[in-house]
Amino acid sequence: MIDEEIVEEKENIIQTYDISKQFNGTTAVEAVSLYVPQGTIFGFIGPSGSGKTTTIRMLTGYYQPTSGEVRVLGSSPEKFSRSERERIGYLPQSFGLYPNLTVWENLNFAASIYGLPIARHERLKEILEFVELDQERGKLANQLSGGMQRRLNLAATLVHDPELIFLDEPTAGVDPVLRRKFWDHFQALKQQGRTLFVTTQYVAEAAYCDLVGVIDRGRLVIVNTPSMLRYRAYGGDLVDLHTVDPLGYDSLQAINALPFVLSAVQQPDQHHVRLVVKEAKTDMPAMLDWVRERGLQIEAMEEYLPPFDDVFVELVKKEAEDA
Amino acid sequence: MRNFFNALWKVFIRTFAFVRKEVFLVIRQPRLLLTLVLGPFLILLIFGLGYRNEPPILRTLFVAQPGTQLEEQIQAYAPTLGAQLAFMGVTGDQNAAVQRLRQGDVDLVAVAPEDAAAAIQAGQQAEFQLYHAEIDPLQASYMSYVGEIYIDEVNRRVLQAMTIQGQAQAEDLQQNLQAARESTQFVKQSLRAGNESAARQHFSELSNNLDEVSMAVGASLAVMNNVEETVGGGTDRQANKIMSLLDNMQALSSEMENTQMTDSNGSQWEAQVEEIDADLGELEAQLETFTGLAPELIVKPFTTRAQSIAEVQPNATSFYAPAVIALLLQHLAVTIAALSIVHERNFGTLELFRVSPLSAGEMLVGKYLSYFLFGAVIAAVLSALMHFVLGVPMLGHWVNYALVIAVLLFTSLGIGFVISLVSHSDSQAVQYTMIALLVSVFFSGFLMSLNMLVEPVRSLSWGIPTTYGIVLLRSIALRGGYPDLLLVGVLAMIGLVLCLLVWWISRRLIANTNR
Repeated sequence: MIDEEIVEEKENIIQTYDISKQFNGTTAVEAVSLYVPQGTIFGFIGPSGSGKTTTIRMLTGYYQPTSGEVRVLGSSPEKFSRSERERIGYLPQSFGLYPNLTVWENLNFAASIYGLPIARHERLKEILEFVELDQERGKLANQLSGGMQRRLNLAATLVHDPELIFLDEPTAGVDPVLRRKFWDHFQALKQQGRTLFVTTQYVAEAAYCDLVGVIDRGRLVIVNTPSMLRYRAYGGDLVDLHTVDPLGYDSLQAINALPFVLSAVQQPDQHHVRLVVKEAKTDMPAMLDWVRERGLQIEAMEEYLPPFDDVFVELVKKEAEDA
Repeated sequence: MRNFFNALWKVFIRTFAFVRKEVFLVIRQPRLLLTLVLGPFLILLIFGLGYRNEPPILRTLFVAQPGTQLEEQIQAYAPTLGAQLAFMGVTGDQNAAVQRLRQGDVDLVAVAPEDAAAAIQAGQQAEFQLYHAEIDPLQASYMSYVGEIYIDEVNRRVLQAMTIQGQAQAEDLQQNLQAARESTQFVKQSLRAGNESAARQHFSELSNNLDEVSMAVGASLAVMNNVEETVGGGTDRQANKIMSLLDNMQALSSEMENTQMTDSNGSQWEAQVEEIDADLGELEAQLETFTGLAPELIVKPFTTRAQSIAEVQPNATSFYAPAVIALLLQHLAVTIAALSIVHERNFGTLELFRVSPLSAGEMLVGKYLSYFLFGAVIAAVLSALMHFVLGVPMLGHWVNYALVIAVLLFTSLGIGFVISLVSHSDSQAVQYTMIALLVSVFFSGFLMSLNMLVEPVRSLSWGIPTTYGIVLLRSIALRGGYPDLLLVGVLAMIGLVLCLLVWWISRRLIANTNR
């Protein structure tokens, strides 16, 4: 189920049609159809064991789908040529480094695997600076902190300058400050025209993505932009109205009767009502007019952006109800 | 064309990425390198210093009835039975003797037969019972072997005693011979004097003397005749000659007794008596030779002296050095290769390889090359230490030696990679390599000669690279020969088959996504 409301029209670098994967009769991923436009960050969000890694492995050619079709860079991943593989960068969930090699040696090895020319010193230096590990180049990988190791992993993934980058939970186990830095790196890569397919358990990271796919128990719940995910989760935009005096029953009924208000729920303190409107941008001024007309005194009115954790829960709940 | 060379160059880059990576990983472990080189060298050095190239000495306690002749004989002879027997005394208490054996005070308890004479007279062998506490089958066999050796020695001494007795009897014959020769002189004198009656009387005395000589010589000659017959003295045997002389004399004597002495045959008689006299003289000389022979020589006429036609007679260290190098290199190559792909799996790099442009062939060639290089360096250093420090000879060409090492490493790496590809963890790979090591120790001819294995187990040995390594390296280093090209070829063929198998499995592992 692909949402049609993607903001920009771009060429799709990844496209899947109803791909499923079964292991010994157990379904890990079921009928996933999605597309990833070139030059975007696609966030693939879901809890542990939901099928994220299996999906990313089908996209990289590591697994062959049990059914369905995958097109990546215009080809089927299982039939990738060497030159097509050189256009891909993959950061697996597992460690993927040699603990007894230095940062430089690990990176050099990764560069060799992708056939980078021997005169690659500048490129290695550049990528180490990009992940802020240039000062640690002589250290053994096993002497690095967990965060540094993950950055080295990222450097090894990017060293051959791939145009399509698959990152399987790059921020797992990373502290929030470093996580933010990672996303800054991803944004920088996107600015350079790279396409990123990123899986994560941290639902809040959806905010950094251009498109987000939500997966739960092997089924794709939704694919959309982050803002549209919120919209889809609650059926509209959320607006919080804080009044000086508690709102009475009549006022609440009147708010609910307004044409642009889809629903209004009073919060326990009675000074606060959360409204679901069609579009916050246009409906908030109308709401302000109505409040003035009623002579109500307001403390504040603002659009509420619910955390993606809540959005995720709502979406999964809805999916279950629909099913 | 440019694209082709570009692609080829990338293959080279990817392949040598593994060589460089593996070299770095190895040199990061200096202790491993030191252990691999110094370990076997020190083992051989200590082995060479501590190895005793002679059978162990057995502390032996005898059990015999006190006061018997057998006890006296054991007391007299046991300490001289051989260097491997340390005589610990004689006791009459068998239980106490066995108890001492249990306590480890002695290695062997030999219980003498209670009544050896009665057993022999009853037509049975008298049996010495040997008790030991060995559980090592080789040592137990050695005990039995030593028992056989000692009982042969005892039997030999019995024969020797009989021979001495025979020789003493032969010496007593000298008087009979003297009397016989005197009788011949009297016969001759009587014949010359024409005194027939005196001649007949003396001739009768001569006949009696000859009968006595014949009877007395018989017993002594029986021993000598048997000995000569066994050793293959042919018809020219000394005992035969003596018997023939006696037969001749008795025939002459008998002929003369039945013949009337006349004028016409007087000279014939005299000639016959002369012949008897000459025979007696010869008999005396022969008996003198017989009694002059050492009894030890008669009962033990043969001895052996082994002489090798090999160019050198290596000591234990030199003999085992090529085998140690072969076994160590196989184990090193198998272990390092067995852990290799398992480590890639554990580090998570295998997943990267599957997605990357790397091919199974590039990875394998890189790994083969790096480990081969590593093994070759270890082999070179170890061989140099063995040759220049321990003095292990090198009679053949180093080039041939290097060729065998190269093929041995290639094949062993194949085994290691197969193990690595079928193992799912480090511990599983290590278990498999230990099994490979055990198989090699027992079946490659490292511990015991291949001749001690029966078919089809012996054929199994030729599936182990170390077997080829031991045979070929010993042949080159200690015999100075050229390597048996058939063996080198078979070993290389096994390596090639393993290499193709490894490549096939690796392709499925890395390139094939059909999972």
